[in-house]
Amino acid sequence: MKKLQTVLAVASCKLVRSLLRITKRGGGTALPGKAAMKFQKNILAETARGMEIAVVTGTNGKTTTSNMIETALAAAGKDVLANKSGANLLSGVTAEFCCAADWRGRPGKRFAVIECDEGALKQVVPLIRPRVIVVTNLFRDQLDRYGEVMHTLEQIRRGVESVPESTLCLNSGDSLVSSLALDVPNRVVYFGLDMPFGGQEPRAVSDAAHCICCGAPYRYHFYTYAHLGDFYCPSCGYRRRPPEVSVRSVSRMDASGTEFCISVGGQNYPARIPLPAIYNVYNAAAAVAACLALGESAPAAIGALSGVHSSFGRMETFYPGKEPVQMILVKNPAGCTQTIGFLTGLPEDYTLVLCLNDRTADGHDISWIWDAEYERFAADPRLRQVYVSGDRAEDMQLRLKYAGVPEERIVLEKDNVKLLAMMRESQRPVFVMPNYTAMLSLRAVLSEATGAKAFWEK
Amino acid sequence: MELRLCHLYPEVLNLYGDRGNILCMEERLRRRGIGVTTTPLRIGERTALDRFDLFFIGGGQDFEQEVLLADLASGKGQEIRAAVEDGKTFLAICGGYQMMGHYYETREGVRCDFLGAVNFHTVGADRRMIDNYAFRLSEESGGSVVVGFENHSGRTYLGEGVRPLGTVLKGCGNNGEDGTEGCRSRNVFGTYSHGPVLPKNPELCDAILSSALERKYGRAELEPLDDRFERLAHDSVLAKIMNGDI
Repeated sequence: MKKLQTVLAVASCKLVRSLLRITKRGGGTALPGKAAMKFQKNILAETARGMEIAVVTGTNGKTTTSNMIETALAAAGKDVLANKSGANLLSGVTAEFCCAADWRGRPGKRFAVIECDEGALKQVVPLIRPRVIVVTNLFRDQLDRYGEVMHTLEQIRRGVESVPESTLCLNSGDSLVSSLALDVPNRVVYFGLDMPFGGQEPRAVSDAAHCICCGAPYRYHFYTYAHLGDFYCPSCGYRRRPPEVSVRSVSRMDASGTEFCISVGGQNYPARIPLPAIYNVYNAAAAVAACLALGESAPAAIGALSGVHSSFGRMETFYPGKEPVQMILVKNPAGCTQTIGFLTGLPEDYTLVLCLNDRTADGHDISWIWDAEYERFAADPRLRQVYVSGDRAEDMQLRLKYAGVPEERIVLEKDNVKLLAMMRESQRPVFVMPNYTAMLSLRAVLSEATGAKAFWEK
Repeated sequence: MELRLCHLYPEVLNLYGDRGNILCMEERLRRRGIGVTTTPLRIGERTALDRFDLFFIGGGQDFEQEVLLADLASGKGQEIRAAVEDGKTFLAICGGYQMMGHYYETREGVRCDFLGAVNFHTVGADRRMIDNYAFRLSEESGGSVVVGFENHSGRTYLGEGVRPLGTVLKGCGNNGEDGTEGCRSRNVFGTYSHGPVLPKNPELCDAILSSALERKYGRAELEPLDDRFERLAHDSVLAKIMNGDI
């Protein structure tokens, strides 16, 4: 009976996905999984049985870190399953495993790299029992959907507690994330930056100003960004643990990529990723830690980083005209402020497009734009023109006014086709900072114009 | 003319883009040639509160609000009550708004004593009241329509002598029952409209600034500003809210 259920579950999943794609209803990321679960509730456990799995969760960097781990495993000759579409809830993850399985529900591949929503972790990991769980970072994010960061942390903790055998790869410089290790028996590999970055001012807005153990204000030997850095509690002694995978220095960072030195077990290695911004250096360290925990060698994992491709909407570049259009997904103040820091540090003139939607996948509450430091754009003479777009373009326009961006440089344009026309004719590089659903719609227009692949083909 | 702003507990009460309100008040004073200084007052820091004209207190995480109660009990709470009695202007939002009342009673019946600076109390509830919403300010606060975002599970009930800040047009407001939103008592403006409520609602911002200027200088004539972007942002969201699009 159970065998029949498994067969039906897998078959329904594959069928629904095919139908959705044939009828061009999009990637079909959630519905096929739901269909499969109707036939067999725990079909995910069946189709993931015996696989070597790394799960990546955390506020920012899930997709990019997963992509890096997958690239490294593929470079080592492994056949890897990954949920590249970004469908990271239980239904989406289930669909990925079912569609990769054979008709009897046996896993089609030996390895998997799965990014998982913070809230869904507690549902997903007890079923797939991953060998490794990576937690990238925790920032305020879509407060109306996820609640406060402490709530999100609790959700992750519940997931971790269900799999004591999994190795945790934790960001040592994030006091919230590294606190996960305090009450669980799991083996832990810490990753992080062993160096300051940016201005060494404490951020005006911190998601973790006070010690999670005793409530005293943290102090820092150095900051990297947001609340990340070498924190310590002067009262109870909770402090950053020395990272086993640590970035020692960054020697170069521009639009084409970043060069840095990474240390594993006391041995230094030069590393390069074709992605800019400090948060991608964290992602790289996280990926290396995960590869080590999966039994890969450090030099191979680090070497593979240079072959990473930008993922869906994350530093993805299009050429609709003469000049490049680079899309940088931003979803919360921490990532947004880092992206602003990167753009305002560029040596050339540029045009900016800010797209802000407020649909369910984005969160209805867009208040967070007031926590991101758009003020830096006002002081950047290379920023020549800013387009504001999306459902809440007017809110973004007002934010820019308060940030001090001259009103005459701001253009409100909600029509993606007109934005595309502007990009085609632009004499300067264009950078687009959309949030999630704004990225989906604008990316569809851009990929149609440039022949880029749909996300499920990537 | 000059207003001295005090930002209470900015390091913990800063959820949801609260700093947008400080930026807005500062900017609307500066553009009118009125001086402004903002002083953050953090946990453990003490200074005489009577030197300030206007206080801002935002919303925070539950975890951090616990840290804060101990600081209030160490004397700052007494000073805040005195400033309210003295007619100083306060903008208190979400968690900060709740804190101005007598107490918060959790669903389990545990009572947490708050400042008691204004006569109201809050009771925890199962259902979270969360979404874009709109309310009309009472005449004493200008009478215009405010758009904002509410996200709270506490239900607030106003006591005798405390007027609501406005009347709910769409959404829940204080408790989802009596149609009231926020409080207005002396010069305390309390609201559940969290985060950056002022930039999109310049009339509310000006009403708050006027109350502080009037108390200090006996008069407040705020000249009109170019609010084109403000109006666009306000009207586009209001239309969505009233149409039920969000």
